[in-house]
Amino acid sequence: MTSGGHCWTTNDIIPLLFQELAKYEEMEHQVTLTEKELLEDGFGDTPFYHCIITEIQGQNSSEDPKVVGFAMYYFTYDPWVGKQLYLEEFYVMDEYRGLGIGSGILRHLSNLAMKTRCTGMMFVVAENNEPSVQFYKRRGAEDLSQEEGWRLFRFDKDSLVKMAAPSEE
Amino acid sequence: MDFSIREANLDDCKDIARMIMELAEYVKLAEHVKVTQKDLEQDGFSNNPFFHGIIAEVPEQHKTKEGHTKIGYALYFYAYSSWSGRAIYMEDLYVMPEFRGKGVGKALISKVAQLGLAAGCHQLNFTVLDWNKPSMDFYLSQGCFNITATMGYHCMRCEGEALKHLAQL
Repeated sequence: MTSGGHCWTTNDIIPLLFQELAKYEEMEHQVTLTEKELLEDGFGDTPFYHCIITEIQGQNSSEDPKVVGFAMYYFTYDPWVGKQLYLEEFYVMDEYRGLGIGSGILRHLSNLAMKTRCTGMMFVVAENNEPSVQFYKRRGAEDLSQEEGWRLFRFDKDSLVKMAAPSEE
Repeated sequence: MDFSIREANLDDCKDIARMIMELAEYVKLAEHVKVTQKDLEQDGFSNNPFFHGIIAEVPEQHKTKEGHTKIGYALYFYAYSSWSGRAIYMEDLYVMPEFRGKGVGKALISKVAQLGLAAGCHQLNFTVLDWNKPSMDFYLSQGCFNITATMGYHCMRCEGEALKHLAQL
């Protein structure tokens, strides 16, 4: 089993993995991002995100390696403590869990965070996702929403368009 | 009241640092601020900026008694949603108390929305403290929704010793 830090392979499995994760969080109908956008936004002139993948070698050496896990991240900024590494998506296929792949991905990202002088790694977890909440809390993550009262808010596209319009004087 | 909104530059970092501290004091978390003016200059205005800024400025005749004409700011960066693609994240939005209620906050967030739409973003995300009713009311009146309440999303962070430990596991 090898943990690959290669660029993603433009493999069809990545969008499938997103769909799988969305099903896990019961939100699959909310995934509107296309493979074309993923390619453009991650591998164009100005990447909006970076990806790492974990591949395993098949039994047969002539088989292509199989992508079994991935993480999507980018860099953000906290004006109080500086650069942060933001973990947007983190997934290991069902049948490959409990083998240390998730921990390996987190180790790789934490190392990267420290090398790039980030003071923290941030992410969002759904409160009803008990296994994930425990996974992260076991590793020392703090729940800022619970401990400090931060609430995440969003303006969707329609509201953005309304706000961007010049106001009547 | 006459005011202007423009993109921040290197020379604004002194006032941005001042207003970051004022905002931190307003949310009663001033002891958390470690970032200095120099950090802001390096992190926001070098080749690879980790954030961008917008400044609200008033003409000389409206300056504060300490002589400040820069009376509000917003800090933002580009983010990514694995479900819907490009996003803009507004990290800070602040207007000095004596200049509130005059449309400055609206103008700042409108500028962030414009920049986000121009960059192809589908959503604007940010956090608010749960006790900060004036801010929550302002944002809700602009048409956003509370994802922590509706989707149960909690903001999490791994920092300091926990981050170092993760990097070694």
